[in-house]
Amino acid sequence: MKLYDYILSPSCYKVRLMAALTGVKLELRPVDFHPGAEHRGPELLALNPAGSIPILEDGDLLLTESSAILVYLAAHAAPEWLASNKPEEAARVQQWLSFSGRLTASLGCARLHEMLLRPGDIGALQAQGIAALRELEAGLVEQAERGMRFLAADRPTVADIACFPYVALAPDGGVSLDPYPAIRLWSRAVRALDAFIEMPGIHRLHELKPEPHIELGKA
Amino acid sequence: MHPDTTGSWTPVALSADLPAGTVIPARIPAGSIALWRSESGRPAASANRCPHRGMSLSHGFVRGEALSCIYHGWSYAQAGNCLRIPAHPGLTPPQAIRVKTYPVEETGGVIWVAMGEPSANPPKFEGFVALRSLMAEAGIAAIEAAAGAKASPAGLVEPAESTGTICLLLSAQEDRQTLLHVLLKGEAGTAARIAASRAAESLRRKAEDLQKKGIAQ
Repeated sequence: MKLYDYILSPSCYKVRLMAALTGVKLELRPVDFHPGAEHRGPELLALNPAGSIPILEDGDLLLTESSAILVYLAAHAAPEWLASNKPEEAARVQQWLSFSGRLTASLGCARLHEMLLRPGDIGALQAQGIAALRELEAGLVEQAERGMRFLAADRPTVADIACFPYVALAPDGGVSLDPYPAIRLWSRAVRALDAFIEMPGIHRLHELKPEPHIELGKA
Repeated sequence: MHPDTTGSWTPVALSADLPAGTVIPARIPAGSIALWRSESGRPAASANRCPHRGMSLSHGFVRGEALSCIYHGWSYAQAGNCLRIPAHPGLTPPQAIRVKTYPVEETGGVIWVAMGEPSANPPKFEGFVALRSLMAEAGIAAIEAAAGAKASPAGLVEPAESTGTICLLLSAQEDRQTLLHVLLKGEAGTAARIAASRAAESLRRKAEDLQKKGIAQ
């Protein structure tokens, strides 16, 4: 499987993270998103006329929507990341997969505005981002009341991976995560998963590894 | 809330939102703090600024009984003294390197932090259980108007019976924001607790509407 990837893209990170968590080996094809705008060049437009990344290529299968790519990786290698056949759980996975698009359109655009000077009404984007974070917080509070640590179940699903990156990077767009205790606990739970990987701006939980010690005299 | 807050307690977070081995940001009238709980379960509060390079300690991490800064790993004990500087492994940090700490008390599922030397224990609300905390873009007056009731001197709003069963413990923040800790009278089942969480969202919406319209200043 070949991923057209950009290291600073939260949507591409969703795919890299999902692949790491499910043990799928990806062939990474770096895209010069900035400053080269390679995703708008002829080679990539031929693959994805929408001019967005990530793009996943597997044989003649071409996927350009990150949620679809997450589902493909999970179905391929780790079906426990998909919804079970419980109606509520299946619906919640779909609910949060769709919702993740709103995170991209609000927090994601605020981040592009702040980091890459993309045009946009930053106040409106941040307000939409805060509204989305409040919904996520309320959803996670309710899940905790049901005894579930993740968005759709008591185990992580593709829905968590679809929502996590843009939420974790909200501060890049000038939106604070301080007021959301349930999001903070959920973010910890995601980052505590075995095989979790980082991206610039999203770090692992240092406390999960023993304290490193430097032997005196060798430094 | 009060012009003179020296020696008074601020309800900063709910116990359930601070598991063992974690650190979170919080706010008291003196400013931003790092609120953390050691592996053994003891809560502590310090100024949210590493004396080394000024990084927020709430971005750091907790290992054992120490809070470490994310930037260069300087770690601090619950009393505020620096325990370790990783770049100088042989050095015992001088006593002068320390973060300012604040008294912490936990009661009824609420974590309270004091400035100065408090003369009394934090308020106890008998028979209440904590549900969740949420931030409102509204001042105390707007929240009181939305709830149809005044806050007690301890900051507790018990809304008029007609507006619901949730009680709110208020903590004024900067920029006319208010932190609401939602408390329930007595134990409740899952459905009732979820309904109470939704009621708190509605109350916040109402308070923020009132704030925007300038009805409550």
